[in-house]
This record gives sequence, structure tokens and C-alpha cells, in this order.
Amino acid sequence: MSLKNKLNRLKPHLSNPEKSKESSRPLPLKTTNEIPFLSDWKENGVTPYFLGDDYCLVREVKYPLDHQHGRYQLGDFIDAVNAWNEANISHPLSSKGFLPEQLFFFDTETTGLGGGVGNTIFLLGHATVEDNHFVLRQHILPRPGSEIPLYTSFLEKVDYTTLVTYNGKAFDWPQVKTRHTLLKDHVPNLPLFGHFDLFHASRRIWKHKLERLKLSIVEKEILDIQRVDDVPGFLAPMIYFDFVETQKPEGMLGIMKHNEIDILSLISLYTHLTFQILRIDQNQTVKEAFEVGRWFSYLGEDSAAENTFTQLASGESMEAYKSRWQLSLQLKKKKDYEAASHVWLNLSNVADDEIAFDSSLELSKWYEHKKRNYEKALYYSQNAKILLEKRCDSKKDQMMDIEKRLERITRKYCNKNVKK
Amino acid sequence: MKVRKSLQDLIVEMKNNEAFKDQIVHWHTIEEKEAKTSELPNDLHSNLKGALQVRGIGRLFTHQKSSYEAIRRGESVVAVTPTASGKTLCYNLPVIQTIIESLDSRALYIFPTKALAQDQKSELNELIQATELQINSYTYDGDTPANIREKVRKAGHVVITNPDMLHSAILPHHTKWVSLFENLKFVVIDELHIYRGVFGSHVANVIRRLKRICQFYGSNPIFICTSATIANPLELAEQLTETKMRLIDNNGAPSGRKHFLFYNPPIVNKPLNIRRSATLEVRNLARTLLKNKIQTIVFAKSRVRVEILLTYLKELVKYQLGPKAIRGYRGGYLPTERREIEKGLRNGDIYGVVSTNALELGVDIGQLQVCIMTGYPGSIASSWQQAGRAGRRHGESLVILVASSSPLDQYIIQHPDYFFSSSPETARINKDNLIILIDHLKCAAYELPFKKGDYFGETEIEELLEYLVEERVLFENGEKYYWMNDSFPAHNISLRSASQDNVVIIDHSDVSKARVIGEMDLFSSMTLLHEEAIYLHQGTQFQVEKLDWEEKKAFVREVAVDYFTDANLAVELKVLELDKQRENSIVEVAYGDVSVLAKATIFKKIKFETHENIGSGPIHLPEVELHTSSAWISLDKSATELPDERLDQGLIGISHAFKHIAPLFVMCDPQDIHVVPQVKAVHNEKPTLFFYDRYPGGIGLSEKIYEGMEVIINEAKAMITRCHCHQGCPSCIGTDPTGETAKNDCLKILNMFQYAVRKGRVS
Repeated sequence: MSLKNKLNRLKPHLSNPEKSKESSRPLPLKTTNEIPFLSDWKENGVTPYFLGDDYCLVREVKYPLDHQHGRYQLGDFIDAVNAWNEANISHPLSSKGFLPEQLFFFDTETTGLGGGVGNTIFLLGHATVEDNHFVLRQHILPRPGSEIPLYTSFLEKVDYTTLVTYNGKAFDWPQVKTRHTLLKDHVPNLPLFGHFDLFHASRRIWKHKLERLKLSIVEKEILDIQRVDDVPGFLAPMIYFDFVETQKPEGMLGIMKHNEIDILSLISLYTHLTFQILRIDQNQTVKEAFEVGRWFSYLGEDSAAENTFTQLASGESMEAYKSRWQLSLQLKKKKDYEAASHVWLNLSNVADDEIAFDSSLELSKWYEHKKRNYEKALYYSQNAKILLEKRCDSKKDQMMDIEKRLERITRKYCNKNVKK
Repeated sequence: MKVRKSLQDLIVEMKNNEAFKDQIVHWHTIEEKEAKTSELPNDLHSNLKGALQVRGIGRLFTHQKSSYEAIRRGESVVAVTPTASGKTLCYNLPVIQTIIESLDSRALYIFPTKALAQDQKSELNELIQATELQINSYTYDGDTPANIREKVRKAGHVVITNPDMLHSAILPHHTKWVSLFENLKFVVIDELHIYRGVFGSHVANVIRRLKRICQFYGSNPIFICTSATIANPLELAEQLTETKMRLIDNNGAPSGRKHFLFYNPPIVNKPLNIRRSATLEVRNLARTLLKNKIQTIVFAKSRVRVEILLTYLKELVKYQLGPKAIRGYRGGYLPTERREIEKGLRNGDIYGVVSTNALELGVDIGQLQVCIMTGYPGSIASSWQQAGRAGRRHGESLVILVASSSPLDQYIIQHPDYFFSSSPETARINKDNLIILIDHLKCAAYELPFKKGDYFGETEIEELLEYLVEERVLFENGEKYYWMNDSFPAHNISLRSASQDNVVIIDHSDVSKARVIGEMDLFSSMTLLHEEAIYLHQGTQFQVEKLDWEEKKAFVREVAVDYFTDANLAVELKVLELDKQRENSIVEVAYGDVSVLAKATIFKKIKFETHENIGSGPIHLPEVELHTSSAWISLDKSATELPDERLDQGLIGISHAFKHIAPLFVMCDPQDIHVVPQVKAVHNEKPTLFFYDRYPGGIGLSEKIYEGMEVIINEAKAMITRCHCHQGCPSCIGTDPTGETAKNDCLKILNMFQYAVRKGRVS
């Protein structure tokens, strides 16, 4: 019996991942070193890279430093690195101690979603500063299986210490490591990376205004980058499979353009984030500045945090209240309760109930435990209770906590008076 | 006056009670068995020796010692052990000893379910803690929190998982498990006997993938399997792992005295040979036991039976024991619910459990005193597994097999010798079922590219790889085949169910709080979840209000009615390809590929206590098509000299008998093989009886039937001849055939088969 007949008959039972593909497409070209459409490739700055009897494709393009990409010129990145080197702040995005040439902006395109072994990287793109230009290189996998030339060309072209990506920590780099594991006997070892992940930085600073933090959204909303005729990323696998079968460069060139813009956006985004964190950006919003301060405080960069909050603290805006509150926490951390209590006193009757509540509570604690002034402690606990009752998001356990506190302070207050 | 009777009292009572005694066809007592032990191995690390002594183990049972020695010599082994014989030490000792000697060593434990994996982790960790050594063992399954997964992958000496997780989470991500695969010394496969049929065929292919990945990383683990008693543990282990094995079967564990009773319910209708329903008999037996607070497990064959019995029993004892003291346990329940039941059994809050064969597996639920089987479980191996639930360790225990009226049950109950002397069933797998094979080839290609000339395990695959290239799933470049698809193939492939998409059951009694209460495979859902069907879950009745066939969702609402539903399935069958054939002028016996069109037609409402039919309705569901392998026997019509109508009834009667005899002689689950009569088969226009495999592509059962057709004919004839009824009954030809001559006509046709087959050694 013919196996093929049987297979065709069983087709409805086979769990075929592709639902219905028209079967009239030509079969893939058989392996040949006669590279198809070579002249089209060359027109687009793409050249073959040979290794043994296999090859991959490499595109190289240079950008002058004054090239404008959204709000910034690419060369502004050099100012950003210089600014870090002059600053005295330790921060995950800091490139202090590095030359601009050492940073390496990196992005990949893959044949699927998720992190399984079979998800193949077919495009590795990176950009770095060389001789007063940005040089962007893309390594293209012409067919599944030609990964040895792909990774060899990639690993020998790049001389880098630090990788700048968008969510590369969780996705791109683990995937490179996965594919590299499969080839480990054939290609140079993978270097160890330092890693700047701009996705996490963006999430910290713009979570308050952007619902989703995909690079395409951040670059549009924050960096004013407009893409023209962009190929959406989710089409990349389909376009690539089509390219594998037809070898026609057209679709791939679209994907390469998409990847190129992604990488350029990484450069502008790094510049912009640096200017946010170091407070160089004149147009920084109060909210952004506040998030930067919170990040410093999270990192334990207390003086940088204090500076930021101090600048935002004056006035009667929401951010000013929040900043004063954050400052009071810094003071409390330094055990300067006296100074902190002045801030709390000020905040205990501002228009924001949450902050007023937190401050009243702190005052109550301060008067109860440090000053042993139970009358005042009682007053501020009661104040806190009233504020909590007003709030619609008040929690049961918070209420129970405050009731307990009131009870305890009342007891102490009575005891003290009795002794008198 | 004594309020509660002990099990001993009850056993004595049963022996002397006239009414009860008459129904006992056979009383088999298995005497207690002394332990056979041997000294601890000399090379065992002193801490490990100490850890054993802390747990009171100064000597090993003989099978534990033999396993240890063989494994330490580097042999792969399969150990056959009954329940509660200390099988875990068979693998835990050599594995831990090896890890102590070389801390880089890794072991992978595979258990068929998450529950078993959890159980084993606790046991293994207790042993490790007692050794006071730094050895890490972790479970890795769907419940493992993301933040410790990394640690499990890098630092787990022993990783405990299940085949599904290995298939969909570990193998497709093998690059994250480099330290495991580079240093893998042992693969432990517990409950080997579970890996038969479709599931086993899938798992055999998962193991091919595992071995391929080990080879890539340069490791060559030995396999340690443990199995309950089946006919062919060695063969199964070697087929499943494609590795040469040593059989360890010198069980040295002690066991308590066990009474095994064959109980046949009284006949209530002599001419029709109808016996009282097994379900009702079991209800009465279980009531007596539960009232005396004797922990009892009741097995029933189907989910519906489980729920019916549960309803009865809960009602009977709700005042004595409270509603939570008796619980149901079966496949459709959600994991949390099952964990809770397992715990209740262990700590004694639950006295009674009504279960499907889900509890056949070695989940530790402690000692139960009595096991009652509602009907013969379908195989000797299953029967012993279920019987093992009673009196697992010491003391007297009781097992009662209550026969139903089905021919198989009646055959078994009247031939206790057959049951007690013949070997248990053969576990069969077909790794090369095309559908299963292709599915796993995709996964394997996703994990590592194939080279030209590669084999997948022992199977040649060149043609299949070419097929996948044509289907644009693989891409050929140079000498290799690369994955070229954006999907994650393992996600589309379930190891457990025949059809890959299950129907989700949603309770929307409270519309604002609709919740998922279970799931069911597509084929079963045609007859159990059609609209108006009564679906039972933990004894609660639900009526199916809507079955959304497209979205695979069944919406149910809680109801209280006094009936259950039973649906009919109409089947149409076409021969697609003929592979093997033997024939003479009268009969044709053949084997080949068929297409089966199944359609649920009508359902009946059946009243609980009386089991009378109180209504019916149509089912509107599309046909489901199945391509599978089949064996059939056709008869030259003129030879029978019977009019069409009688021929038709005769074939229906024989199919009833065949349906029950075939699984017994092919040794498979009764649900895995179906029988369909056709008075005029489409392909040869002759009266024909078809047997077909229930799983697409077949798992090798029909082929065995083709080879053993003579035996099946002889046994069916003997069964019908021996039956005491006059015109056919559920115990021989069933009640579907109509007409006074049906029983005789069946015999006539079978005679013809027998004569023709014997006459011309059909060739």
C-alpha cells in the first residue's frame, strides 16, 4: 500500500499547524550556490557572505550622525553617553566607563512566537558607532539550515561589550543562545553580555500614560517617529516562509526595513531615556520626572531621588504632594523624624485623601511612639479614620488596623492621665 | 449489643448467610505471604544506609536488591511489582547512590499523572533528607511556579515530571536544560503498564525524541521501569524505550490474607435470563459495609455508573456518615477536587469512594479494607490493580466482583479458573501509527533537524520527511531537514485523547458565575453531552442545555430528575483499502483500512431504580468521520439460506457476542475495539461483520483479530451455546435482535463461519 495515499487519507486527523495553504505554490529551490536574485540584492546594499559551500546575506548601511530620527538626531546618542560619564549616579542604563562605540543596538526577527528551540532567528540586526557614523548591519538567513554562516558572520563582525535591546533580556538573547546551542561545535563561542533593556525602562517611566508598551507604540507616542509603509511585525514569519520558497527579495526587504527602523528607534530611545533620567530634557513632564525620582529611590540612589523630588516639591499639584511625600520617606529613612513630621503636617490636610491619610497615620505613629504625645496621636488617628471613611477604595484590614490603633492609643492616654 | 461489626464479622456472616451464599459463585482466598529479604548492598553510602535504618529498613526485599545490582551494573531494568511492595526503592536507591558518588549526575522521573509525581516527590525528599546530603529533587509540571523553574532546570538532580510536560515543555525547550541532558544517567518510568494503546504509542514517540536529544548532548541514560502485573512487561518496556532490558520479577514483599469473591446477582427473569442489576447489588453490598464504617472503594466502569452509584450511596448513609463521607473520583473532575479526595481518603475523613479506573494508578490513598467492582473491569490486569486497592499492606481484606449481565462478565464469572490461572493481558502499542508518528516527527524536527538517512528510533522515516517537505512543514537544505513553520507543534498534539480537541463543560446555573466543571473527548461527548442529556458530576445532575459543536462547549444547568440518559450511535462503514485477505468459496476474512461515519441518533431517558424507559428524543449532531484499520469476515449470502430479515437479526446478535469476546482475546480495553454488522457491506455486497480500532489510523488491534478470527468465532459460538436463555439475552446475543429464531440464526451463521474457516484453511 502506498504510504502517500494513506497519509492523504488520514489528513483530516493529522494536526496540521497550517490550516489551509494553497498547494499550487512551487517547491522550494534546491540548494545552489548560484545565489538567486543577486543583482537585486546588490542594488539594496546586500552582499553574500560565504563559508564553505554555504552562505548568508549581509546588508550594511551607514547613517551620518546628523540623521534625524523622530525627536533626536542619531548623534545625540554620543551626548547621552558623555552625560552618563559626567554624572555621578549609578543606574541600570548608565554607560559610564564606556565609549559610544562600545554600545551595540540589537534586534532580531524570528519565524515564530515564544521561546521554543524550533523558533528560528532569520534576521540579526545591529547598529553601532564607527568613525563618526552609525553603521547598521543585518545578517539574513537565506534558507533554514544556513545558520553556520549566519552566526559566524554575525559573531565576527561585532565587537561589543554592551547590548541595547527592547525586551531582549527575556526574548532575543535567550533565543540567540538557544540557536547557538544547536551549532556550538561549528561557530565561535558566544561572548558574555552586559545588557540595557529599554523595555523595562520605558515601562517604569511611561506606564502612567501608555496602555501598551510595545516599541512601535513608544516610538510613536514618545519619540514622534512616523513609519511609512511599515510591514507589521506579526507578518514576518509568513513573509519569510514565502521568501524561502520564492527567494524573491521584495518581501524580505520590507522586513529588513522594519528591523532597521526598530534599531534606529532604539538609538533615539536610549538618548531620550538618558535625557529623562539625567533631567536634561527641557520638555520633561512633571509625571515623568516623578517616575524618574521613584526609580532612583527604588535603586537606593537616595541623593539623586531627593534632588528630583525637591525640584518637584513646591506648589499644590498632585505631583508636588507625591514628591513631598516621597521626600518625607527619604527623611524617615535617614531617621530625621523632626523634619519629616513637618512635611507630614503640611500634607495631612491637602486635597489628596490618600496622601493626607498616609501622612496623618505617620504623624500618629510619630506622636505615639517617639513623642509619647497621646492626645496628638489620638487626633491624627481620628483624622486618618475620617479620611479612610471618605475613600471609596478603603480596605477592610486598613480599617481594622486603624480601629486597633485608636483603641491602643486611647488606653495609653487614659493610663497616663490616671498616673498624673 | 454490638453496634459496629468488623470486617472479620462480616466475612463470617457472608459465609453463613443463605441468601448471600447462593450468589457467591466462587470464593477464592489468597493466603498471606512471608517477606523474602536480602542484605543491604555493600557499596551503599553510609548516610544512605543510615537513612534507610531510620525508616526501619535493615534489609531489602529480593526484588529491590536485584534491581539495585542490575542498575549499578549499568543495565536497564523493568521491575514487576504488585501495589505496596516498596517499588520506589527499586529506583530511588541506585539513583541516589549514583548521585552521591558523582554530584553532576541527573535523573528524570516520569509518572503518568501530576498527582503521582507529587506523591513520589514527598517520598523521595523524605529519604534524601534522612541522608543529610545536598541532593535536589523537584517536580516540574504545570503547577511549578515560574520563579523556581530556572532552578529546577539548572540544579535539579532529580526532575520529576509527566509525559505531557516532557512532550510540550521540556523537550521543545531542551536548550534550557543543558545540564540535565548532558548529565542524564537515569530515566525512570513508573507505572509502565499505563503506557499502552494510544497513550503508550504517543509516549513511545516522546521517548524517541528524548533519546535523540540525549544523543545530541552526548548522554546515554539507562531506563528503569516499574510495572504492575501484565503479560508482557519486558516486551512493553523494550518497545516503549527501544532499549534492551532485564526483567526483575522476584517480588519479595509480604502481603496479607485476601478474600476474592465472585458474586453473580440472582436471576429475576428465567426465560430471558435477566439478572438483577449489578449496580443495585453493589449498592446493597456497599451500604452494609459503609454502615459499619469499613473503608470501601467501589469501582464502576463508566462515569455515568460512578455518578449513579454515588447518588444512591450518598442518600443511603447521609444520616450516619454525613454527605462528605462518600465521594466520587473520576477523570472529568478538576485537579484540585481530586487532590482533596485523595487527602480525605488518606486521613480517614472519607469512608467510601466510588471511582472509575482513574484510581487504578498508584496514587497513595492508604489502606482500604474492601474493594467492590461493579462488573468485570474488562481486563485481568485492571481487575488485579483494582483489587490491590484493598489491603495494600497487611491484614485481612475483601474483594467482591459483582457480575453484570454482559456476556463478558458472565463468561468470567462462570470461569473462575480462567480468571485466576490465565496470565493477565498483553499491553500493546503501535509506535508507528502514522498519525502519531507524523505528529511526533514534527515535534522532533522542531527540536533538532533530521539528517538524510536518519531513523526515528527504529523506524525508517525518509518517505515521511519528504511528505512533510511537500506539506511545507520542513525544508530540505543540504543533507538536512529543517523546521519551517511558525507554530509550536507540541501544542497541537495531546498525548491522551484520540481526537485532539476536548469539549469543555460549563455550568451556567448561575449566569453571572458560569464556571468550567470538567471536559470530555469529542467522541464521548456525542453520546454523553448532546442536548437534553443528563450529565452527572459529583452526584449532582446537570442537564445539557446547549452543545456548541463549533466552539466545543457544552452548557449545563443543575437539575433534579429521577432518570438518566442513554444515547445510540449509528455507524456507517466503508472499506478504503484491502491489505490482507484469506478466502474460500464461502467466507472471506480480511484486514485493511476503513472509513467510519458515526452519528448520534436518539437518546432514551431511563428511570433510576427500575431502569425502565420513560421517554426519548432525537440528537442533532453532525457526523464524525474516522479513518482507521479494520478486520472483517464476510459470508456468501446464499450459503446461509436465511431470509434477509433473519440474517440481519442474526448478525446483530453475533456482533453483540463478538463485542465482548474480542477484547478478551486481543486483550484490550473494551472501548478500544468496536464491532459493526452489515447485511450488505458496501465493498463486496456480502453479509459482513466488521471490527475496527477506535483510534484514527489504528493501534494494531484489528490486525490481531484478523489473525485470530477462528478463535473468536469458536468462543462466541461456545458462549451462545452455553447460555441458559431461550431466545437470546443480554449475556449472549443481547436484546436488540428481534424474532424467536434469532439465537438459532446466530448459531447457524457462526456454524457456517466455523465450518468454512475449518474446511478450507482459508488462504
